[in-house]
Amino acid sequence: MTLVDGLRSVLPDVAVRDPSEPDSPAWHGATPEFIASPSSTEDVSRLLVWAAQEGLGVLPVASGSHADPVSNGRFVALDASLLSGIEEYEPADLTITAGAGTRFATVDDALRGNGQWAPFDPPAARGRSMGGLVSEAAHGSLWAGYGALKNHVLGATVVTGDGRVLRLGGKVVKNVAGYDLLRSVVGGRGRLCVLTSVCLRAFPLPPQERVLLMSGTSVAELIESALAVGTAPVLPASIVVAGPLDVLDGRAALVVRLHGAESTVDADQATLETHVGRPFDRVIDVRDGAARILSQLQDLGAAEERCIEISVLPSQLSGLVSCAADVGLGPMVVDSYAGRIRIGGADLGVDPVGTLRAAAEKAGGALRIVRWNGADSPTSTPQSAVTAMLSERLESIFDPGGVLWPARS
Amino acid sequence: MATSRELTISSVMTQTLSTTMADRLRAIVGHNHVITHPDRLVAYESDGLTAYRVVPRAVVLPETTEQVSSVLALLHEEGIEVVPRGAGTGLSGGALPTPDGVIVGTARMNRILSIDQQDRLATVQPGVINARLTEATAPYGLYYAPDPSSQSACTLGGNVAENSGGPHCLKYGVTSRYVTGLTVVLADGEIVRFGGAGTEAVASLDLVGLFIGSEGCFGIATEIEVRLLPAPEGVRTLLGIFDTMQEAGHAVTDIMASGLMPAAVEIVDHATIVAVEASVFAAGYPIDAGAALVIEFDGTEAGLDEDADRAEQCCVAAGAREIRRATSEEERLGLWKGRKKAFGAMGRIAPDLLVQDATVPRTRLPEVLARITEIGEEYDLKIANVFHAGDGNLHPNILFDRQNADELDRVEKASQEIMSLCVSVGGTITGEHGVGVDKRGYMPLVHNEVELEMLRRARWVFDPSGSLNPGKVLP
Repeated sequence: MTLVDGLRSVLPDVAVRDPSEPDSPAWHGATPEFIASPSSTEDVSRLLVWAAQEGLGVLPVASGSHADPVSNGRFVALDASLLSGIEEYEPADLTITAGAGTRFATVDDALRGNGQWAPFDPPAARGRSMGGLVSEAAHGSLWAGYGALKNHVLGATVVTGDGRVLRLGGKVVKNVAGYDLLRSVVGGRGRLCVLTSVCLRAFPLPPQERVLLMSGTSVAELIESALAVGTAPVLPASIVVAGPLDVLDGRAALVVRLHGAESTVDADQATLETHVGRPFDRVIDVRDGAARILSQLQDLGAAEERCIEISVLPSQLSGLVSCAADVGLGPMVVDSYAGRIRIGGADLGVDPVGTLRAAAEKAGGALRIVRWNGADSPTSTPQSAVTAMLSERLESIFDPGGVLWPARS
Repeated sequence: MATSRELTISSVMTQTLSTTMADRLRAIVGHNHVITHPDRLVAYESDGLTAYRVVPRAVVLPETTEQVSSVLALLHEEGIEVVPRGAGTGLSGGALPTPDGVIVGTARMNRILSIDQQDRLATVQPGVINARLTEATAPYGLYYAPDPSSQSACTLGGNVAENSGGPHCLKYGVTSRYVTGLTVVLADGEIVRFGGAGTEAVASLDLVGLFIGSEGCFGIATEIEVRLLPAPEGVRTLLGIFDTMQEAGHAVTDIMASGLMPAAVEIVDHATIVAVEASVFAAGYPIDAGAALVIEFDGTEAGLDEDADRAEQCCVAAGAREIRRATSEEERLGLWKGRKKAFGAMGRIAPDLLVQDATVPRTRLPEVLARITEIGEEYDLKIANVFHAGDGNLHPNILFDRQNADELDRVEKASQEIMSLCVSVGGTITGEHGVGVDKRGYMPLVHNEVELEMLRRARWVFDPSGSLNPGKVLP
């Protein structure tokens, strides 16, 4: 009996396909034995138990993506795309629950249809699944005004490596009933468990969005203005410097987004311009070109074959941006309020990235390899020995049999 | 669930600390900072939830991370339980001593270590009072957003342990949104660092987020790095007076549905208004009102009147008989007074007060409030409601006399029914006060046995010995 036959004898309703089919994800490293697509939390649980019995690893893949390479070994890919659909949405409660395989676009459209939204904008967000976004704790530029994605995840249903179903958190904004295991799952990248459902906090759409733009020849030229915006007495929704941008003929731009009533954004713009010491070049109407610029800012570099992310204190950004320019790395997107830099490109080199990592760590920050297509990958800043030990203990309680090893490899 | 009567018995069994152990602790923290005299230990027998009382064996008051480390290492070596304690303002018995345990208090760890104006960060010791941080950062145009009602007394270490909220977390979020890094001493004395602003790119699990709200069971935070916000330029505060709670509830629903984002939306009910107005905290709320609704907006001055006008329209449309709007800071404090002093005012009505804390989906508030009133009538108990209406966080306050055994029994039964009710509509047993000892018995309402076992294992991750704050959180 083949593995697939074995699975079908236990879980006849779980769809199975070959990983070499044309619409399958690009596998970095080892290739799974097959891709299984359960359509319920219960089937996810049974699949994990079956895999453990068969001595197979399980790699959760959401919307067909998993950026990290998998080391050699026998495993199956657990595709969450059939765990799809909005399960519960009560607009007056400002909460929405959706299956982990639900595309964010589906959730976003439902919310916007009721004058609401989920204010986070990581790269390519609309095409990604809820489970993938939450599993990665994906960073977006709206962090300045609305906080990190982890602050918006109210609850989740997960399945541990040995098949236990846990409901973490809930569907209310304030909830401290027990230790907050949900926090370790958000951003856990599938190391602890498989997400099957996610409850998000929604927000009212702002009555007005104003996009302010200041252009320059390079990111380095604009970074001080961005930092000035970040220390002004008003808090924009986002403060991003990026470049070079195709939509600006290769120039760089500082883009600031203001949310609020019209009189509020008028006043905030005036305050920012006084604080920065110069007016913005352009005020872009969202319906007239801003969407194209914002879209490029959101995605710049993220889909490249090689992509890195740096975090430092905002006050250290100038030095890091200069260092990146000195070693020839770019294009880049800088969230100057969060102190985050993303650089993507097919030709990122190991040595320049190593130099940048050293500079980031010297400045008290860190560098992470988001994606590196190629054999000679540089390494990310490691976590400390004690946090690694505690993380391993956490992994052991969520996944005592180590079934989810491919997500940790 | 442990009852106050059971705990009264356990207090008799408290063991004294040996002179040798006390001397070893004094060698670490200084002679005057280890309390063993019974008369002084009584001050530590409970936290803000006075229904539970246990006298600790000793109280140790370290001043530095290193002293905390040495104290915990010694107590760990000797197998002595440790109960961390901040200001003791908690309302769930999270800092309740154990008969065999020693309290490690953070009262002397009260220094603000740094304020970084450019990066909008502050690093503090755990004993810093919440409101003091905002006072210290005000000259820089910054403030610390989470504002528990006890913010003039509670400590930031306690806020981290409980993941505290407050009236303004409707707009700004709770403690976990603002803590960026922690230095923590684990049960065996090991000093560890979790997170830190600027290190977000390190690919690790969110141990900061997991630690926050762990109620002193995972370790003692000895340095806390927090994010600060620019102080809002302006504020507008309104007080809506309604004949019925249902009208006030409709006003809240309309305000939130209109797209407005108030900083705070708070309701006090008729029973609370009567209590406040009969007390030294009288705030001028009409005593025949069914409910009073406090609404506050903050942010850029230019848009605030517009927001306040829209909120006022919602209140009027819902049936408000009167709207008051503050025109000065003094008036603003006056409008808030009836809300902020509600708990204090209830002290004159009954000798004991059980402050409950549950969260329900906002749309279920009207039916839940109506049912709580019925529960009060069924058990012949006076229940006064004060709550964060914007986020559905209820505080039903049950007034009673602990000397009356029959009444105490009815309080426990009514409390259980209220909790079951809140869970049955999709809510939870605590929104901001924590589980402590008070709500351990309710944990099976929101977690099945598999989930409870996971919580036990999570505790093991940080404290395999189980010596930190035993008997809390888990049933």
